[in-house]
Amino acid sequence: MADGYDPNGDGHLTEAFVEQWHTNAFGCFSSGHKFCREVCPVMQVTRNENHTPTAFHANIVAMEKGLVGVEDVADDYVHCTQCGACELRCPNTLFVGDFYRHRTRTVDVVKAMRALMVETGNEREGWKLWNERLAEHHNEPVLGDVPVSQEHVADWAEGLDIPVGGETILFVDCEAAFYRTSYTRAFAQLLQRAGVEFGLMREQWCCGGPAAEMGYVELARKHADHNVADWRAVGAKRIIAPDPHDFIAFTEDYPSYYGEGYDFEIVLGVELVNDLVKEGRIQLTRPVERAVTYHDPCRLNKRKGVHEAPRELLRAVPGITFNDVDHVTQWSSCSGGGGGLPIEKPEITDEISRRRVARAQELEVDTLISACPWSERPLSQAGAAAEQPLEVMDLFELVAQSAGIEVGGQAQAPAAEVRP
Amino acid sequence: MSVAFKSAVDDSVVDELRAIIGDDDRVLPNLSSRVNRTRVPAPFPVHRWAEFMPDVAVLPTTAQEVSEVVKLANRLLIPVVPRAGGTGLSDGAVPVRGGILVDVKLMNGIHEVDLVDRTVTVGPGINMLKLNEELKRHDVFYPDDPASYPCSLVGGRIGTGGWSLLGARFGHTRDNVISMEIVLPTGDIVEIGEGGGRKLRKSSTAFNLKQLFTGHQGTLGICTEATLELVPRPEVEFAAFFAFDDYMKAWETVGVLTKAGLATLAGVVLFDEWKIAYLRRDDEAYITQPDSVRAVVAVAMYGTRAEVEPASKVVMRLGRSRGGKYLGDEISAGDWASRHDRYATPLHGRSKEGQAVLMSWHCEDAALNYSVLPQVREEWHAIVARYAERYGILDDWGMFAYTNGANKPWGDYLVEIDVGIWEERLDDENWAGWVNCKREISEVTLKHGGSITACHGATREGDAELVPTEMGGAWEVVKAIKRTLDPNNIMNPGKQSLDEAYEESLT
Repeated sequence: MADGYDPNGDGHLTEAFVEQWHTNAFGCFSSGHKFCREVCPVMQVTRNENHTPTAFHANIVAMEKGLVGVEDVADDYVHCTQCGACELRCPNTLFVGDFYRHRTRTVDVVKAMRALMVETGNEREGWKLWNERLAEHHNEPVLGDVPVSQEHVADWAEGLDIPVGGETILFVDCEAAFYRTSYTRAFAQLLQRAGVEFGLMREQWCCGGPAAEMGYVELARKHADHNVADWRAVGAKRIIAPDPHDFIAFTEDYPSYYGEGYDFEIVLGVELVNDLVKEGRIQLTRPVERAVTYHDPCRLNKRKGVHEAPRELLRAVPGITFNDVDHVTQWSSCSGGGGGLPIEKPEITDEISRRRVARAQELEVDTLISACPWSERPLSQAGAAAEQPLEVMDLFELVAQSAGIEVGGQAQAPAAEVRP
Repeated sequence: MSVAFKSAVDDSVVDELRAIIGDDDRVLPNLSSRVNRTRVPAPFPVHRWAEFMPDVAVLPTTAQEVSEVVKLANRLLIPVVPRAGGTGLSDGAVPVRGGILVDVKLMNGIHEVDLVDRTVTVGPGINMLKLNEELKRHDVFYPDDPASYPCSLVGGRIGTGGWSLLGARFGHTRDNVISMEIVLPTGDIVEIGEGGGRKLRKSSTAFNLKQLFTGHQGTLGICTEATLELVPRPEVEFAAFFAFDDYMKAWETVGVLTKAGLATLAGVVLFDEWKIAYLRRDDEAYITQPDSVRAVVAVAMYGTRAEVEPASKVVMRLGRSRGGKYLGDEISAGDWASRHDRYATPLHGRSKEGQAVLMSWHCEDAALNYSVLPQVREEWHAIVARYAERYGILDDWGMFAYTNGANKPWGDYLVEIDVGIWEERLDDENWAGWVNCKREISEVTLKHGGSITACHGATREGDAELVPTEMGGAWEVVKAIKRTLDPNNIMNPGKQSLDEAYEESLT
């Protein structure tokens, strides 16, 4: 550290962190525009300048100057859903980014700072407990005290007769395997309807993405190692990821772990189903008489630029009234369900979802459609708690209904069990 | 009388603040909260960061809380610094003597939309883009549109006396604020308008205090509520950009356009050749422009189709009347649409050796008459060139001139020279050099009968010491007002040379 003060003997970790992120941080610090601020879902709720992407970068410069240490700024970095809106809104990215091949990296900064928090003994209690449970059970403790385990990871598929193994593997997110099972059942049955051959993993662990988001790097890597080994053991070439969070892990985290040796084709569920509908392999014949709007899940819209496929799918459903809000306006929206926020700051997640549901209700719709099971838990709770309740439904559930599929499974757990 | 005291915030003060606010999450004495409420986008002496930290930040939600905090500060002689967005291009929101920072971002409610008398009443923490998202459904908007439109907040706009890109058509902040609730430096809460009446645009009762409280740089009080103008949403927008091979032809064209009497004219902007060269470095819209392009004039109009469409034909004719070449629909519409994002990112910076380096954007602004623009431009660039050569941390990013008069675009201009500053290389010596550079720029402004700031505020070194000179005999009036309203100099002390108001009472 600048002043040589290093009582815990871990100053070298901070130094390495600051060195790694210096240029990225200074790009923001010396700009100081703060255009990111009003699109940040957390900042919109707390209105606290510390909970802004600008602060996440300024803190690094302040660390470099010896003004603050990890312990001083750790709480700031809890206030992020890793939705990526700030990166899109950054003037440095928007205008000269192409020329300089520059993109302000804020999500990665938050992940790296959280990893530094773990390394330096500044971890958060909620995340610590959550990851201890993950280490024990290898699946996310999505239902809190309700046990998750390998014994039950495929319970959602009961009666669907899905084989294990094969060239194409369906990876089922923990949230969707244990909690919103209707989501997964809808998706699997849509693939079956289209005649897509796929199998399940022999032993499916958590993708490790959430652990990485909370800074538990080694634990995340351990889960990735397991999953990749399982894929290789059955000769898988193609991994279908219906959940956007898994899609991020498989297309961003895993390639960073394994480099060129990582040669799996990763297929995003919503794009696959949209293609199958367009090809006529899934016929949507049953009208669904609903007035809906669509919630752009952050990891599809903001992180991956996927906003057309879900809208095409929605428009393909007969009978539906689709009251859309464009995807750029929705940079400001979020469910608050990502980045570990609901574990540490559930009240902020609740408020973000409450506001998202209120926005939807201004459009005079009866259903809010999302395409991410992580968003659907807080959104469903907010929808149920609203003065005039609003139903929250997944896009696959809707499409399956229109295809005449009896989905089964559960869309919501009892209210008392919903917190991790 | 206290003049330049440093703050005295101890644990007992923090305890009192907690008692007033009643929510520990909104009283923030921790290091990170202070560190992050220090700088604004203007260049910052990063090597002296700690000097500019407040001692504690509070996030009030009501005028009553603000009032109690200010009363406490006034009783204990602690500086109070109001901060809204912290997006200013001068130091209005930067604490220079520690103290209590009153951060109004949580006061961001929309309290009333009155579609009959056409006003909207809001808290000072709301952002204009967010406000207009809400107003859209009523087919009205609040037209205050600075470069920082996506991030600056209404309270800061009032404090700095903001300037709007669309000011020629819709007026600037002061023209669009109808009345305000202000917490005075004594903690009293008062309603401030033209006269009385919260929703009246014009009054001759007593003094017009509204103008006094728009643009005081946080030195006379804290705005806790504002009643704003509602304007019909324009039916159409028209933008046209014209290229010139010579600055003087562009300048003449600006004169012709602004004097044509087009009521829908929202802004005319003149970019000089340094600005074009800067954009040509790395902006794809400008790289492709031929070298013969040495100045650009941008024109924008807003209004009904019935007004704007015929007026656009006049603009196209006048824009070409002095050798201007229309740059095409794509650049005109696209560049105007991206005006909030485009011109000042740190990636544009170049060292003396031509290497791309991250630079902070300093935007030195002034108000100047049309007649002196060509001469001032030459003198300003010469100053920056001299300092850039000597210190090696500056980069001339060119000049703009924007129409400045609300509804009267013909006579005076907001003039800016944008200067990149390599903050990572700042030390005491070259920071002092930079301040001297700023001061020389401002002296040129005064020499030509201008004002040293059209909208950013004269709150920084290099500007602040020239405020008495610019104000002349009226400086005595300014000091008397400051002393009367803020007897203990607690409200944002150390700005605009206002400490002088207290020096005389010592003698």
